[in-house]
Amino acid sequence: MKALALLLLSLMTALPAWAIDVESLRGPRLEELYFVIVRDSDAQLLALERGTTHLVTDLIRPVDIERLTRRDDVVLSLTPAFHMMEMGFNLRRSPWDRQELRQAIASVIDREGIVRDLFGGYALALETFLPPISPYFEEQVPRFGHDVDEARNLLARSGWSWDGSNRLVDPSGAPLEPVRLLSPLAQVSPTTAELAQRLALAMESLGLPVTVDPLDFPVLVERLNSHDFDLFLLAWSLTRDPDNLFSFFHSSMDVKNGYNIPGLRDAGLDAILERLRFAPDETAARQAASEAQKALAELVPVIPLYSRYSVTAHSKAWTGFISSEKVTPDNLWSLLSIEPAQGPMIPFRWNLGEEPRNLNPLAAGSAYDWQILGLLYESLLSVDPYDLSDRPGLAESWTLERIGEEDKRATRLTFRLRPDLFWHDGKPLTARDVAFTLERLKALEVPRFFDSVRDMASVNSPDERTVVVTMDQVSFWHLHNIGGLPILPAHILEKVDSWRDWQPATTDHGEGLTELVGSGPFVFREYRPGQYVRLTRFDRYWRLPLEP
Amino acid sequence: MTYWSRRLLGALAVLFAVLALNFALFRLMPGDPVTSLVDPRFSPEAKEALSRAYGLDRPLGEQFLLYLKQTVTFDFGLSFVSGRPVWQELRDRLPHTVALSGSALVLAGTMGTALGVAAARRRGGAVERVVLAAGALSFSFPSFFLQLLLLLAFAVLWPLFPLRGSVSVPAPQGAAFIADYLHHLALPVLSLALLGFGSWALYVRNLMVKILGSEPLFLARAKGLPEPVLLWRHAFRTALPPLLTLILLSLPGLLSGAVITETVFSLHGVGRFLLESIQGQDYPAAGGAFYLLALVTVTSNVLADLAYGLADPRIRVDRRKGQ
Amino acid sequence: MSLLRRWSPWALLLLALAGLLGPILLGEAEKTVAPPFSRPLWLDRTAPPTVHLHLSPEVREKTLDWIWEPPAGLALKGTYRLPPGTSGKIVWDGPSGPVPLASLTGAGSLSLDGRDIAFRLRLGLSPFQSPLETLFADRGSYRLAYEGPEPEALSVELHLSGGRWGLLGTDQRGRDVFRLFLAGISVSLLIGLAATLLATLVGTSAGLLSGYLGGPVDSLVMRLADLLLALPLLPLLMVLAGLWGRGLWQLVLILGLFSWMGTARTVRSLTLSLREAPFVENLRALGAPTWYILGRHLLPEALPVLLATVTLGVPGAILAEAGLAFLGLSDPRLLSWGRMLHEAHGFGAFTAGAWWILLPPGLGIVFVCLAFLDLGRFLEEKADPRLRETLP
Repeated sequence: MKALALLLLSLMTALPAWAIDVESLRGPRLEELYFVIVRDSDAQLLALERGTTHLVTDLIRPVDIERLTRRDDVVLSLTPAFHMMEMGFNLRRSPWDRQELRQAIASVIDREGIVRDLFGGYALALETFLPPISPYFEEQVPRFGHDVDEARNLLARSGWSWDGSNRLVDPSGAPLEPVRLLSPLAQVSPTTAELAQRLALAMESLGLPVTVDPLDFPVLVERLNSHDFDLFLLAWSLTRDPDNLFSFFHSSMDVKNGYNIPGLRDAGLDAILERLRFAPDETAARQAASEAQKALAELVPVIPLYSRYSVTAHSKAWTGFISSEKVTPDNLWSLLSIEPAQGPMIPFRWNLGEEPRNLNPLAAGSAYDWQILGLLYESLLSVDPYDLSDRPGLAESWTLERIGEEDKRATRLTFRLRPDLFWHDGKPLTARDVAFTLERLKALEVPRFFDSVRDMASVNSPDERTVVVTMDQVSFWHLHNIGGLPILPAHILEKVDSWRDWQPATTDHGEGLTELVGSGPFVFREYRPGQYVRLTRFDRYWRLPLEP
Repeated sequence: MTYWSRRLLGALAVLFAVLALNFALFRLMPGDPVTSLVDPRFSPEAKEALSRAYGLDRPLGEQFLLYLKQTVTFDFGLSFVSGRPVWQELRDRLPHTVALSGSALVLAGTMGTALGVAAARRRGGAVERVVLAAGALSFSFPSFFLQLLLLLAFAVLWPLFPLRGSVSVPAPQGAAFIADYLHHLALPVLSLALLGFGSWALYVRNLMVKILGSEPLFLARAKGLPEPVLLWRHAFRTALPPLLTLILLSLPGLLSGAVITETVFSLHGVGRFLLESIQGQDYPAAGGAFYLLALVTVTSNVLADLAYGLADPRIRVDRRKGQ
Repeated sequence: MSLLRRWSPWALLLLALAGLLGPILLGEAEKTVAPPFSRPLWLDRTAPPTVHLHLSPEVREKTLDWIWEPPAGLALKGTYRLPPGTSGKIVWDGPSGPVPLASLTGAGSLSLDGRDIAFRLRLGLSPFQSPLETLFADRGSYRLAYEGPEPEALSVELHLSGGRWGLLGTDQRGRDVFRLFLAGISVSLLIGLAATLLATLVGTSAGLLSGYLGGPVDSLVMRLADLLLALPLLPLLMVLAGLWGRGLWQLVLILGLFSWMGTARTVRSLTLSLREAPFVENLRALGAPTWYILGRHLLPEALPVLLATVTLGVPGAILAEAGLAFLGLSDPRLLSWGRMLHEAHGFGAFTAGAWWILLPPGLGIVFVCLAFLDLGRFLEEKADPRLRETLP
């Protein structure tokens, strides 16, 4: 793992010494923005090379990356992503309840080889339970390495043996039965099938007969949810907050449909995870996250395999992109500051890799929808592109307090809004909009935001610019849960009675607007299925005019 | 009961069966559509709320009645994925599929008929050899293979045509739009026509060979009618009803072929919509698209019978039965 | 035998043999053998060969004259044990000066690869720069050497791969395209034949029963056939592949159960015409049981036609399988030609300009289908000599 540390170090030193202060950033300079829908990878590349699009995200195929490295009019960027591919065990069944067996399997897997052969090197071999990009990543945890002899020694020391045909025999003398490794039959990432095959081979080298069982994703999830499996392969997309470790490994989440799929029940870890989820402040959170990662490295309920890189390519015809070792240039900050390298302003064309399937902020689930919705709607807080810390959004300042008595503790969040906020239709944005949004998200039971607002006890707006939110429990993460919610205009949201049936993108709101009215830097104009989504600059955005 | 009412009733029965099958197939699809929508951060309670919202917790019988009522009115429900009415999604895409299949049919039909007639006229000539070869190829060439080759040649190595999509982005306005649309449609249509004309030509040739060898034509020739008149006025006119039937009967195959063509060329059509819906476990959408394709198939079968019967009033029995 | 004078039986025989023997003689098709998208050997003779350089305590230095383009892949693997407290390094030295590849301390193992981003960064390159172009910047004499104290043990190998491989090059995962092609033969033939046989079995039984018994059985069977014919085939197959699974035998089952209708109709009309034949009526008058008449007299009459139907049905099944596989609706472990095209399309054969991956599977499908069509046509003529008038 020296290599990993080295990689992070180098990526950091590769950064420019200066970093833009995102708080004083003015923009957007762009007047018009097209999200061009091109799904086919070959076509995406051609479009970028011919200048018909200016930015392509999520490059996955090594052959595409290699082709673009040979061009001098394209800039490639790479950062580790909040992604994790893992192989998990069913700890409810024998022999997976044996920790030494899980540890031994963890060290017969050649992660470097997998990354090289399956991704041409463009992924990160992962041996930790948080990806290294996470602000809560703990460097000092035990690693598995790749050492078949050591794995066999470890098992032998705990009383395991091998029979004449190299079949593994457990300490009670029973040879292990053949098992199935369930893997998603992914249309998008066919590498998974190959990965499963390699894992099966690796386990066979340990005397563990494994066959691969590729399943349709929904079938796989059903089997996992009903705990009907031995081994599984699954990828997760994580967030910057490590409290998902609670969902993944706390014993209370070991229920049907719960996210503790392996069924880990460890009292020691439970205590740490509770301290993590209900951490009162950042220091406590950091301490608990670090302990949790160390404990998990010993318990090995799942084996982390690799983490994807985000690879983005953009045209050199534009300047002003903002990127860091944490984020690739395809972000909101870039869209605020980019402009043509020379000549007059022209529309910027961003390649969207999928159809935005549901442009409804209450129902949209895909990353492609949020790529667009994220530019239309703003949240109370924003995320710093350099260290992923909290930055002002709609709120210019905020506080997090613990209130209440010993047995009835609660969290109070107070947000102070900026004075110069407007909706795209010209109405002013006030604390009432914020309070109403939070209340409605809870009342409408919007699944996407269900868990964020579940613990919300009350929300008021004592004046035009102040919002006070009281949460039932003490948790540092409440700030991110509430601060990250998109804020919608009360005068439109009050007409919505079902989050699912609302069709904002096709409901006319007059003056060339639809009901997709937000307060973000861009205004939604039209969506032509199969072709593009067109946005224009919001001239009353609070970071405008360019020269205040 | 007259022949026609029996025929229509039969078609309706088939439609009903298609509906029932359609419902069963998509309810039997493995897994739960909700699973493909969830986010790792969802709690079990959040997942249940989602399942309730989609009506998946209601009894199957109730779901079927609702389904029947809705399908008859072309209300296929809301897509799980986009949240838009499925009918709207289909309506957006239908014109593209019709344009693709229609122009391919016209092109393949014209080329095929002309070549077929020519081949029948000069047995053993070069044209006939081309027709026979093209016919064999059209039964053995996977459409996607030809399409990939065309793309590799004319969109990648020698970029005369676009690699994907139905129009440029942003699309030009006015007349330029039509030109742009045709430019995008050229390769897909060409590929379908290249694959389709062979079997047309073969069919027309066989038909014409039979007709040219028949008694009425022999008599006409004996009367000394000029060859072109003989060929087009008499022989070809006799061949028209079966050709019309063939056109109608080939529609379903064309639509099925659209799935692959639209996938290869990333066209915004019904076929690719079906594929994506199946992959995304979007039952209402996949069911709607499948129903639409089945409806076209059944309708064109009935129309084919109708056309055949109208053109040749002597036919009063089921065309297929008397095969 | 006029059959032996046709080209198709021989071609099919050869293909079947190649499909059977190929995997035995050439080995596992799934194995990675060379860098991804390596060209066929005969295509590009200027590409470099594959080179291994091995270092040991006795031979601590190897030289190499490089007169080609940079190689396609580089891997440095091995184990070492140095005297305690000392350190050494592996150095690559050439016209543009020495480059340390790896530093060694104590005892351990080495595994470096040109694709590793960490390795690129250590050489001072960006994550997107291939180290091969730096390490082989010029043509000339190169030296791989161990520098340091006398090692107690040393076994390090530098493996340079050339970028050319075999008869048909390699695919996106570095698998031998020729081996994959051979593996695809058996899948295509197996699915095509098994599905058509199943369809014929179902179709013949349905047709015989329907034609001979008539009445409600006839209506039922024919309505069912109508219903199935009224369904768009490919979309139906797509839905069923999602429903019943994507393995080889599921595909055979799906294809077989949804393509028997044509055979049923043919057999039914044949049976209808035979049912009234004097000899059948005589048999019936003599009290022969239905199954006897069907099995002993009607079936043999239908056999030549059936043989032709089977043969002509195979291309349809092969094409349907290829289509499903191309759409990604087949089991990824099933190495069929359709799957090869799916992967070539999905993994950037276009971007790499690797036409040698696209052509073999596609032409393979065309070739097999043409062979079956030719054979089928021949059998059809044998069964019904009148056909010769229209089909030369």
